[in-house]
Amino acid sequence: MSLTVEELVKFIDHTRLKPETKRAKILELCEEALAYEFATVCINPVHVEYATDLLKNSSVDVCVVVGFPLGATLSEVKAFEVKQAVQKGATEVDMVINIGALKDKNYDLVQSDIEAVVSAADDAIVKVILETGFLIDEEKQKACLICKDAGAHFVKTSTGFGPMGATPYDVQLMRETVGPDMGVKAAGGIRSFKDALRMIDAGANRLGTSSGVAIVEGFRWAGYSDTFLEPDKPCWTCPSRQASLGKQPKEVYLWYKQRCVTCPHRDQNVFND
Amino acid sequence: MTDEVSQSYSDTKLLRISLTNQTVKQQELTPELFTYYLGGRGLGVKLVYDQVIPAVSPLAPENLLVFAIGPLTASAAPTGGRVAVITKSPLTGTIFDSNCGGHFGPQLRRAGFAALVLQGRAKSPTYLWINDRDVEFRSAKDVWGQEVSPSTDYLLDETNAKAQVACIGPGGENRVHLASIMNDKHRAAGRGGVGAVMGAKHLKAIVIHGTKQISINDPEKLDVVVNRTRRLIKKDSITNNSLPVYGTAVLVNLINEYGMLPTHNFQEGTFNDAEGVSGEKLLERFFTKRYHCFGCPIGCGRISQVQGTEIGGPEYETIWALGPQCGINDLEWITTANHRCNELGLDTISVGSTIGCAMELVQKGYLQSTHEFGNTAELLNLIDDIAHARGLGKELGQGSKDLATRYNAPQLAMQVKGLEMPAYDPRGVQGHALAYATSNRGGCHLRAYLIGPEILGSPVLVDRDRVEGKAGLVILFQNLSAAMDSLVLCRFTTFAFGVEDYADLLSAATSLTISGKEFLKIGERIWTLERLFNIREGFSAKDDCLPPRFSTPLPEGGSRNRVSHLEEMLPDYYRLRGWDETGQPTKSCLKQLNL
Repeated sequence: MSLTVEELVKFIDHTRLKPETKRAKILELCEEALAYEFATVCINPVHVEYATDLLKNSSVDVCVVVGFPLGATLSEVKAFEVKQAVQKGATEVDMVINIGALKDKNYDLVQSDIEAVVSAADDAIVKVILETGFLIDEEKQKACLICKDAGAHFVKTSTGFGPMGATPYDVQLMRETVGPDMGVKAAGGIRSFKDALRMIDAGANRLGTSSGVAIVEGFRWAGYSDTFLEPDKPCWTCPSRQASLGKQPKEVYLWYKQRCVTCPHRDQNVFND
Repeated sequence: MTDEVSQSYSDTKLLRISLTNQTVKQQELTPELFTYYLGGRGLGVKLVYDQVIPAVSPLAPENLLVFAIGPLTASAAPTGGRVAVITKSPLTGTIFDSNCGGHFGPQLRRAGFAALVLQGRAKSPTYLWINDRDVEFRSAKDVWGQEVSPSTDYLLDETNAKAQVACIGPGGENRVHLASIMNDKHRAAGRGGVGAVMGAKHLKAIVIHGTKQISINDPEKLDVVVNRTRRLIKKDSITNNSLPVYGTAVLVNLINEYGMLPTHNFQEGTFNDAEGVSGEKLLERFFTKRYHCFGCPIGCGRISQVQGTEIGGPEYETIWALGPQCGINDLEWITTANHRCNELGLDTISVGSTIGCAMELVQKGYLQSTHEFGNTAELLNLIDDIAHARGLGKELGQGSKDLATRYNAPQLAMQVKGLEMPAYDPRGVQGHALAYATSNRGGCHLRAYLIGPEILGSPVLVDRDRVEGKAGLVILFQNLSAAMDSLVLCRFTTFAFGVEDYADLLSAATSLTISGKEFLKIGERIWTLERLFNIREGFSAKDDCLPPRFSTPLPEGGSRNRVSHLEEMLPDYYRLRGWDETGQPTKSCLKQLNL
């Protein structure tokens, strides 16, 4: 993949979502976004006015998260949250899907929940977080199709607070499901330029990460050795390696581990490094 | 790269000091020296290569001892406070640079000197008092035989409390091959026996007080680059979190998890009591405050307190060498032993590793002694004996290679080219293994710190078991380290900086406009010149090797079943370096590097 630094930065939503975030960190985040010309800063709604003010007249947009991180609030509340955020300057919105309804196969509720947010968002871009770590492939695919039908602009892998981060496997599955015209955002656990390039290679056109600076700075090293971009051991990037019985429902965990049984790379799964 | 030379850095001088004749002579830092070798390690290597006669005994008066700073020393560049000490090592017989933090380097620069070039031997114990550009040879008879702290205190009393002292302890005075040079009482130019070279010159200390303002070629540009690089240090989790909070000892638990914490003289890679000697435990039990070298925003240094005594350290390598390497799990004892090594002016890595070697000699029946793995009894006395070259200590003081050979078990010395290997079992990290084997100064983790990419994921995680591509990666980091050591900046900046950041700092501080690739080329030139020195001294490809132990698998832990695959990587390494299959740089390689 040939990618310039200037192109890479435009993939990045420079993210700060920790609950203890102080204004000084939002200032730092925005200053970095301006310096590196990232696509957006991705923040909690309480900081939207401050960030909008800091980024006015720049190419950096403000993205807020909604119904975050559980996705379990009422649709009306999500819609209200979006409306307020957009009024205060947000131009992109990352909402969390109603995960429980999806697991219940209550697809109408899932879709109406997204439609409520899309409607309230006006012209703002809406990304829908699936929280893939709670889902098996069939559910991820179904969720992608619902998001597309509901008029969302992106599907997004994870909140970063759930049981799994983004994996190239999930990104590729989502890209294949939504087709080329809808956005796919990879988020959660993207810490290095190699992580970032893997996601882009798998089909992501946006990356959510709190390591934007490290990714861009690290990317400069790629020009000095091809070894930095050598393929990893297959298990390193496989969602089945990330599966955790402590964090996931048992049936989801077992679904991931069952994949190992038929995996052609099973013999290489010796060490966990 | 322009040939224009910075007026700021080139107005520092080389100070040639004859200890035999007690004369000094100032010389210009020529444009060639600066543009091709920068300063610090590069400058010292060039001086030693050119001016030390081949096959000289390292402890002979004819050997040179160079203290060199670089173009970023005493500037606002982060970590610009280090000094390089370059000589031919009595421990390895190779060219050797040992790098020291603290505050000595900036005083040297402010006194107006790029390097002190020491030659000859004083008739009696002497110390140098350099007060800006005034140089005095003074008798050291009142401190000869004294340990590092009382020596430092005495010398500051005799000169200026604001001066800086680089001195040797009894280890250096007795020409022990494991002797270090100490600054700020607990910062060491530790490795390779550089302290013995100083002791052989009857030079107890250099006390220096520099007051001049240094000039910077483009202060505004430097401000911009410094702000950027300081921000990068703040953004990196290693330089902003791990190192400031735990010091380098943060590595104990991590490396143990990977099964690479050498235990019982590298017989195992996991230490059952690692938690008890970890950085976390150090923080809970003995830590009192952080220590910052000059200009360092990281502050990885520790000040500990044990039974009322304030102690600098211990570092990760020290904890390992005096701990797991010897089967010792008593962190209080390790911290105390670290302090004793500092006071005696001994390299903790080589001391600990050589004691570990002795313990395995005892375990295997080659040596009769009470010093068994895990037993701290009489061990502090043994360390004292090493420094004073007494009894068994005298044998250990020559290093593990000499010791194991003396007892007919050379395979039990965990060394490369005579230098004891540090705290990472090479079986678990193929690139790092190659870095050990090809290091110009012997078994060293700092010539190319492949632990960064292979374990810490800095700048990105690469497969530690792969051999493909590792030769190129080792060369990249060897060249970078050689150039960085010539600025002189701390190795830890590589966690946060990219290659261009070093070039940008250099370009701003001097008028040497330079790209990242050109910066690496300087490093390559320095590396190759070091290789040429070693070849001249009789080293060859057969010395680019690891002890045979690393061809047998580790028995357990996170690196179990692994062996080193050095032989698969070496041919690639030589080829990519432009060397022939015997490890000799080719003519075209030398021409390309202007050597």
